[in-house]
Amino acid sequence: MNASGIKFGLGVYTTLFLVFLYGPLVVLAILSFQTGPEGGPQFPIIEWSTYWYKHLFGLTPPSRIAPLPIDQGLGRSMLLAMMTMVVSTILGVTAAQAFRRRFTGSGVVFYLIVLGMMVPGVLVGLGMALVANTLGIERHWWGTAFVLHVVYTFPFAFLVMLAIFNRFDSSVEEASWSLGVSPARTFRKITFPLIFPGVLSAMLFAFTLSYDEFSRTLFASGRDLTLPLAIYGTFSVEVHPNVFAFGVLTTLFSFALLSVYAVLMGLSVRRAKRIAVQEEA
Amino acid sequence: MIFDLELMKVGKVYDNGTTAVSEFDLSVSKGEFIAFLGPSGCGKTTTLRMIAGFEGISSGDMMIKGVRMNDVPPERRPTSMIFQSYALFPHMTVRRNVGYGLEVKGLAKAERDAKVDRILSTLGLEDIAERKTDKLSGGQRQRIALARGLVVEPDILLLDEPLGALDANLRKAIQNELKLLQKTLGVTFIFVTHAQSEALALSDRIVVMNQGRVEQISPPHQLYTRPNTPFVAQFIGRNTIFSGEVQKADGENAVVNTPAGALTGRINGAVASKAKVNLVVPAEAIEIHGTSDTDRGRASTEFGGNVIDAKITRSDVVGHLAQLTAALPDGRAISLEAHIDKYRPGAFATGSDVLLSWKPSEATVIPAH
Repeated sequence: MNASGIKFGLGVYTTLFLVFLYGPLVVLAILSFQTGPEGGPQFPIIEWSTYWYKHLFGLTPPSRIAPLPIDQGLGRSMLLAMMTMVVSTILGVTAAQAFRRRFTGSGVVFYLIVLGMMVPGVLVGLGMALVANTLGIERHWWGTAFVLHVVYTFPFAFLVMLAIFNRFDSSVEEASWSLGVSPARTFRKITFPLIFPGVLSAMLFAFTLSYDEFSRTLFASGRDLTLPLAIYGTFSVEVHPNVFAFGVLTTLFSFALLSVYAVLMGLSVRRAKRIAVQEEA
Repeated sequence: MIFDLELMKVGKVYDNGTTAVSEFDLSVSKGEFIAFLGPSGCGKTTTLRMIAGFEGISSGDMMIKGVRMNDVPPERRPTSMIFQSYALFPHMTVRRNVGYGLEVKGLAKAERDAKVDRILSTLGLEDIAERKTDKLSGGQRQRIALARGLVVEPDILLLDEPLGALDANLRKAIQNELKLLQKTLGVTFIFVTHAQSEALALSDRIVVMNQGRVEQISPPHQLYTRPNTPFVAQFIGRNTIFSGEVQKADGENAVVNTPAGALTGRINGAVASKAKVNLVVPAEAIEIHGTSDTDRGRASTEFGGNVIDAKITRSDVVGHLAQLTAALPDGRAISLEAHIDKYRPGAFATGSDVLLSWKPSEATVIPAH
């Protein structure tokens, strides 16, 4: 095959891949504009409307379709994801900092940390539920489930930071020490600004992974449901396009989050490039 | 007398058992310019990092101005380190980079600015003071690193191959600046390099290291004229080394039986009769003669019998200077330089036979081990 043939083939492949990736999302988005309340989650679109979006915010006249029970779940999931993000990122940064030097048992500790993202979520969730019951601890999304979220997302933050430190020129820190700056202050004022892009990535990982975590939360969160659990709960009755409308809104929220990340990253990467140039010269 | 820096049998053994440095002894007076010179992996950088406090000292003692420093962390040592990679803070302007050490020491802003301004102008950096460090050239960055290290007024400035990342012309220029700066400020400099020319041009004394051991500590000239060990003889300059056994030693000179004949040189170190020794002849000491009987007789008298036969195998004449390669009777090739004006035309044609000779006082006899 000639070069342009390969190019064409790769183009087709990439297109198919993107269709496969975003097709479901597009279908979801289209169906969310189905008329209501009589229209169902299927084609064809009887009439275009924003009924289900209004329904979501309680702006429609009462009908036989109950509003999505998500307002509390959304709040919980947001808060849980925030808490998880903060704790996992702090743990990830500090643990990766510790791993810059080999210490006794560092190999074992490394695998123990990484195990947290490898073990099947359902099993860990179930195990946590059993442990909580045995010890008489009440299960809550902010307690038992929060711990599992941290166990799950901390390894991601840790690995991101490990990669960042791997490429970090520690002579910058040494230069700072030799100017009389204490190690603690050096970390805050010199190291941290330079590893910030990595910290940002670690935060994004921890937040998104926690926000839509399902299997671990299922058994460990107790009575009050997080958002993924609440949505799943509505499926067991009947699916209405209001779920799709909500899906579109959360996706937009995720894009907003990603845009913020991209902007911050862009700023940091420009700085990182400067460091790279400095190293080359 | 209190030295600026004293190393007393300082050693470094890594956790995995490898010895990086052993029994390093050195006393440095205030204002001296010392170079650690050696091949890579010889322990010179490790020693510098021990002085800075980045590496722990496994054995021995290190004192700065009479105070034991073994357990003092780097930020509390009166040393500053300059890195090959410059290690500037990329998120700060030039001025902030330079002033950071003073800022942390809690100096008042006015005093800090005055000091920073002074060092910036000393190093010719005033014009770029408000710039970020990213778009600056290697030479400018190295000057910033120097300014940043010097402005905190360290007792000792440690430089780890500071010119290694610069191109040849710039290296020469900064080398001169560095020497001048050191003389003006009177700060003790410890300079690590694997480039002989740098060490020879800059330092008051050179510490030649090999495999974690100090081979010789001498002023540059003496490394050439009086090497202490076979390693130094091979590493520094362009020496020809003849191995042999001492036939006769009279205290100052020794006659050595070598495969190239009985040759004489000045004794350096413990050299007794029958000892296995190396006779080291610097390329600069070698003179070239014709092979006629008169030439041979005159050379033998004038140079105390230090005459060997050789054949020119390669000759490149550039202007007045001939770059020659000559084959010795044992097959070794040595390179020489000669001013062609002093010789008859064609004397250095490839294939010509020549006599090589040197004054006994310019060759050194050292123990073989």
